[in-house]
Amino acid sequence: MQSADFLTITDLWIERGERVLCKELSFSVQSGEVIRILGENGAGKSSLLKALLGTVLIDEGSILYLGEDITADRSNLHKDTLYIGHSVGLKKALTVRENLALYCPDVSIEGYQPILEELGLAPFLDMPVNKLSQGQARRTALSRLWLTQKSLWILDEPFSALDDQACLLLEKKIEQHSLAGGVVLLTTHIPLSSIQPRELEFAV
Amino acid sequence: MTYFSFFKSESLLLWRHKQDTLNALLFFVIVVTLFPLGIDATPDFLTVSAGGIIWCATSLAVLMSISRMYREDYEDGSLEQWLVSGLYLPFLILLKVTVQWLFMIAPLLLILPIVGGMLYLSEESFWVLVATLLLGSPSLFLIGSIGAALTVSLQQGAMLLMLLILPMYIPILIFATSAIKASEIGLPYLGSLAMLLAISLLSLVFAPFMAAASIKASVNE
Ligand SMILES: Nc1ncnc2c1ncn2[C@@H]1O[C@H](COP(=O)(O)OP(=O)(O)OP(=O)(O)O)[C@@H](O)[C@H]1O
Ligand SMILES: [Mg+2]
Repeated sequence: MQSADFLTITDLWIERGERVLCKELSFSVQSGEVIRILGENGAGKSSLLKALLGTVLIDEGSILYLGEDITADRSNLHKDTLYIGHSVGLKKALTVRENLALYCPDVSIEGYQPILEELGLAPFLDMPVNKLSQGQARRTALSRLWLTQKSLWILDEPFSALDDQACLLLEKKIEQHSLAGGVVLLTTHIPLSSIQPRELEFAV
Repeated sequence: MTYFSFFKSESLLLWRHKQDTLNALLFFVIVVTLFPLGIDATPDFLTVSAGGIIWCATSLAVLMSISRMYREDYEDGSLEQWLVSGLYLPFLILLKVTVQWLFMIAPLLLILPIVGGMLYLSEESFWVLVATLLLGSPSLFLIGSIGAALTVSLQQGAMLLMLLILPMYIPILIFATSAIKASEIGLPYLGSLAMLLAISLLSLVFAPFMAAASIKASVNE
């Protein structure tokens, strides 16, 4: 028997407000795949990602995760997912270290010193997030990719506010993740240099 | 994220925002002092009304401090992170409400002897007041958190909608003040205390689920 797809999306309908964002969208995702969702501003890329996560309701359709129907209850998916959206969920009054302790409580920050150095966060560990630059805050959120072990990464415009060096670092990390069998769903408006994700056109 | 790391960061956050709690306490003290000034400063009036005054001020202060308890979480994307964390949302909410309760009720109990003295509360009634606060205030927070969750995505009118929560405070207010009044005139008051406990337990069972449903709806909006 063929093993199940990582994700199987069938006949998905999403409506937000008055607009139908997608109708009868079907696709499947295999382990090790990187998928880039394409579409203009307002096409509904973020909504699609959130619909997969269950924070935006879907009107019709079904979602299978490793062959199991999770349309009604995403908790199994959530246990293996890392989501970083437009708003990244960092607490502004807490320091970088405290935020990482919130999201990645079972790792010791000291063990990840090299990658935090590379991300340029090491000198700012004890600075509150509201005193960081946009890019530094985004780097802090993205450092969770290195500090946690989840198979599915859902990244909504992860490259925004990043400089070239950080973009390359992130692309490398995404590549590594997919080589290790992980799955990445992402949206971005910038051209990617080192990875060639499968592209999913998003249009009604 | 784990329940424990969530609890720790929520406590830390409240500590960083302690000015908000201080403001609510200040508001409480001001309301309580306005009553003797505005109505009647004689011990006869104050002893019988002390319970009512303190409980009205407490309800308003609680409402004020928790009406925005999820606002920042909504704006910075934390609510979404809670939803996809794999953790059980009603329990996260319960933890957050517990932290809010501890941070507000502990300092409130500390200033209570001063406030009680100002209102000529007898010693026995003072302890009954403490009991009503310990037993009744959890329900103020739990019910209030439903209102805060319902209004989290509203730009305007959030405070107005919060006032819709106030009617649900009325039974709590009635049982609390009647317990204090009863003790003041020597009648039994354990029944009222038991009712307060019952209301708190009931809201403990229902409020986290209702707040969780409201949060899901607000994020989905
Ligand atoms: N909270 C909301 N309530 C109602 N409609 C919304 C809400 N958020 C977004 N929409 C609508 O859904 C549509 C898709 O929005 P979405 O954010 O998914 O687009 P996007 O493809 O991610 O765009 P971008 O490239 O700008 O990030 C838009 O028309 C938008 O107006
Ligand atoms: Mg988007």
